[in-house]
Amino acid sequence: MPTRPNVVHIYSCFTTGSDSTLSLIEVSISPGIPTFSVIGLCDSSIRESEGRIRSAFKSAGFNMPKGHITIGISPAYMRKAGSGFDLSMAMGILFCSGQLYLPPNSKIYAEGELSLGGDVIGTPGSCLRLKTVRNMDFDYKIIPAGEASSAGIACFTGQTVSSLSDLEGLFEGGLYKDNVFEFCRQDADKDYIDISNLKGQEKAKRALLISAAGFHNLLLMGSPGCGKTLAGKMLAGIMPELTPEELSDVYSITELLEGEKAGHSCERPVRLIGPNITVGKLLGNSSSLTPGELALANHGILFADELPLYSSEVLDFLRKPLEERKVQLMRRGQLYSFDANFIFLGTGNPCKCGLLYESGDRCRCSANSISRYMSKITGPFLERIDLFSEMRSVSGKDMAFICADDKEGESPYYRETVKRCWDIAHKRYGSDFLNGTFRDTDIKDILRVPEKVIKYAGDTCDKGFFSARGFTRILRVARTIADIKGAEDISEEDIAEAVQYRKRGF
Amino acid sequence: MAFINDQINHQDLFYSAVMLNTDINYKTFRDLIDNKAIKTYRDISDREILTRIAKGEIKLRNDTVHRIKKLLDSYSDIEKIVGKYRKTALENNISVHSSLDENYPYNWKVLSGMPQVFYSRGNINLIGQMTYQGAVAVVGSRNPSKYSLYATEQICSELGNKGITIVSGMACGIDRQAHISSVNTQGGTVAVLAGGVDNIYPPANKDIYDLIGINGLLISEMPPGQMPLRQYFPSRNRLIAGLSDTTLIMEAGICSGTLHTASFAANQGKEVFVLPNNIYYENAKGGLKLLEDGGNVLLGPECVIDSITRALMFKRMGMGCPAELSYSDDKDEFTDNIDIGALRELSRSDPETLTDDNWKTIITDALTLKPLCADELCSVTMLPFYKISILLTELELNGTVCQEKGKYSLTFV
Repeated sequence: MPTRPNVVHIYSCFTTGSDSTLSLIEVSISPGIPTFSVIGLCDSSIRESEGRIRSAFKSAGFNMPKGHITIGISPAYMRKAGSGFDLSMAMGILFCSGQLYLPPNSKIYAEGELSLGGDVIGTPGSCLRLKTVRNMDFDYKIIPAGEASSAGIACFTGQTVSSLSDLEGLFEGGLYKDNVFEFCRQDADKDYIDISNLKGQEKAKRALLISAAGFHNLLLMGSPGCGKTLAGKMLAGIMPELTPEELSDVYSITELLEGEKAGHSCERPVRLIGPNITVGKLLGNSSSLTPGELALANHGILFADELPLYSSEVLDFLRKPLEERKVQLMRRGQLYSFDANFIFLGTGNPCKCGLLYESGDRCRCSANSISRYMSKITGPFLERIDLFSEMRSVSGKDMAFICADDKEGESPYYRETVKRCWDIAHKRYGSDFLNGTFRDTDIKDILRVPEKVIKYAGDTCDKGFFSARGFTRILRVARTIADIKGAEDISEEDIAEAVQYRKRGF
Repeated sequence: MAFINDQINHQDLFYSAVMLNTDINYKTFRDLIDNKAIKTYRDISDREILTRIAKGEIKLRNDTVHRIKKLLDSYSDIEKIVGKYRKTALENNISVHSSLDENYPYNWKVLSGMPQVFYSRGNINLIGQMTYQGAVAVVGSRNPSKYSLYATEQICSELGNKGITIVSGMACGIDRQAHISSVNTQGGTVAVLAGGVDNIYPPANKDIYDLIGINGLLISEMPPGQMPLRQYFPSRNRLIAGLSDTTLIMEAGICSGTLHTASFAANQGKEVFVLPNNIYYENAKGGLKLLEDGGNVLLGPECVIDSITRALMFKRMGMGCPAELSYSDDKDEFTDNIDIGALRELSRSDPETLTDDNWKTIITDALTLKPLCADELCSVTMLPFYKISILLTELELNGTVCQEKGKYSLTFV
């Protein structure tokens, strides 16, 4: 009979926002009147674990030891929530009471919720937790069977258990194995609409290509029914599939919300938001630290339909995430951040009747009503939009041109071009950045702009085409255009084209 | 009772207050004056005369007597309103003029239905100058094309320099351009407002309001403090037409207020000139209809000057300007003699051979007809968008083409 340890140490992990923290669970049992106390700033979901553990023990054939059971969860100064500590607490009690054999000098990691019947269930946030733990040195890593797919995506190795009684086999029977989990990655099976369907909208098409190739924010404006929403949906279709790292980023956030039901396809996320969205839904809930639409759009597209109808408050809250490419939430004096690296795609009508850009003079809106309609899209917000394109409904006359140039299935070609541009950009900035997203440094040298071209860009700036603040944005767009051509240096022509996508006030 | 010392006649204010706030109208006044109950409209503020009328001592129509009785009942209210007008007028430096003053426009005297009292701010001498040197009403769309704006600027500054006053309504678009181009010329400019002279409408025109208040003249038939209500605008258009000798329609849509001004002018027996505009441009259709109906074609400042000379002769005020109004013949240089047809042919058959300059010529040629958006240019030229955008930026940089409302158009400079 091995000696019973006084205090058992088991490691587990908990998430707050998108951070996850390793925590140490200490279990000690001392003689006396039976009590069960959990300490370390735990919320009620952890304190309720007593009931679950008690029933699970009974169902699995273990006994709840008699005596003072004290469980400390560290770091004790951080607030913790969630039922993922159940398994580690239960294991601690079993080791401490001698019902399971604790291999000496072993470091154990365990997580999972217990059901009353003794089953071990996964809890949300598993992908984030397993990513934190995957490179740490543990002798035993035990997770619920339901978290296997998260483990695959997080490249985690360890052992799954489906019920509490499995533990006996692992520790007494020596069945523990460091399993490698299969990386389950579904191919993008979605049929994207081919970009050749956007007939006659040459500017918008080109803007979509540049947007995808350089991760530039895009604004499409035009009359109702001219294909803005259609164009927006095509954008995801011409971008490369998610890389394994990106997929694990995306999955770990959706998994926070949806648990093990979260999909793991390689499609880039497209989050469609409408004008009635609240700030909380957009940024995330700061009391429960659930991610909002911005965090969910990470590595994908945030598609804001009917942009001029948004409240200016919502648009103002969008400004900072667009700049920093992450969302920050404040809870109890502490800052939590989620990555939010997405293409912002806005669409909307240019005026109340929507016909401003139509041919003929069908729009009867006065200059005042147009500026009032557009007033919510403020200048500072527009500064963050690199590409702007008008759209209009295609007239029968233009159809002649369109039919003469009837290319089918252009999307694969577009996707190839975008992929090539991404490879070039990754070589230039490292794998995390693209032309639209890399941090401001001395961009002239990185972007390879010859002196002559800088002067040309300065001239166009002086002529009032864009502000000095828009200058670097123009250079970035020009860089993407040069990448599409495969050119080393930015040329004057690239600047000239980039200028045409700049919105010069409403 | 009378305040002779300042520029503000109490009886005039009283008249305005009565016209706006009671049911007494022009008809009532005609009845009163025809039956010799009052001598001029100013007597309406005389309580003694009013009491006599109310008692039925003079033979008048029943409803006239009834209205005068009602006026007597509310006499103190009217006095209060007059006090308010006076206060606003003094605060805003507004003066009052009437048909009994010397500062009343001659053109209004010869028409019926013109206001007895009007309010002004700025250089009132312009009224006298207009009588002798002529005035032109320049009106048009609030949302004009570049071409109409350019023509307005050219013609107004030319006429202004010849000493002709430009009259307009201080609205956005054509009106604004007309005022700006003429305010600092010899002829000066008069803005006729729909509300009180102290009400800046539209507020965006504050800058030219201030400018006209110093160098030009702002007038209105509405008393100070009156808001510019929707129903006042047609009446304001009537005053613009009445004040001037000739009316220029720079751009008018199918159903626009500009056409009201034109019909007022025609009814007052004045010549109406219409700027010939693009037939594909929807917002100019009303003006073109006027041309079809027999309006004069505005070919340049010289035909306006001819018309004004005739109008002044009719006025038998043979002083001042006619001799000075001569037009100097500047020939427009027309250098463009590239064969556009051949280029267009070539762009279809062998696009590779065309240079950037050739393409630019094709683009500017396409834009002469009407403003086009980028996609339409793509379909006209059969060029891919990136190529078009490069050319467009260059054309914008050298000032040939400009962008507005999402479309590209030629600049006229």
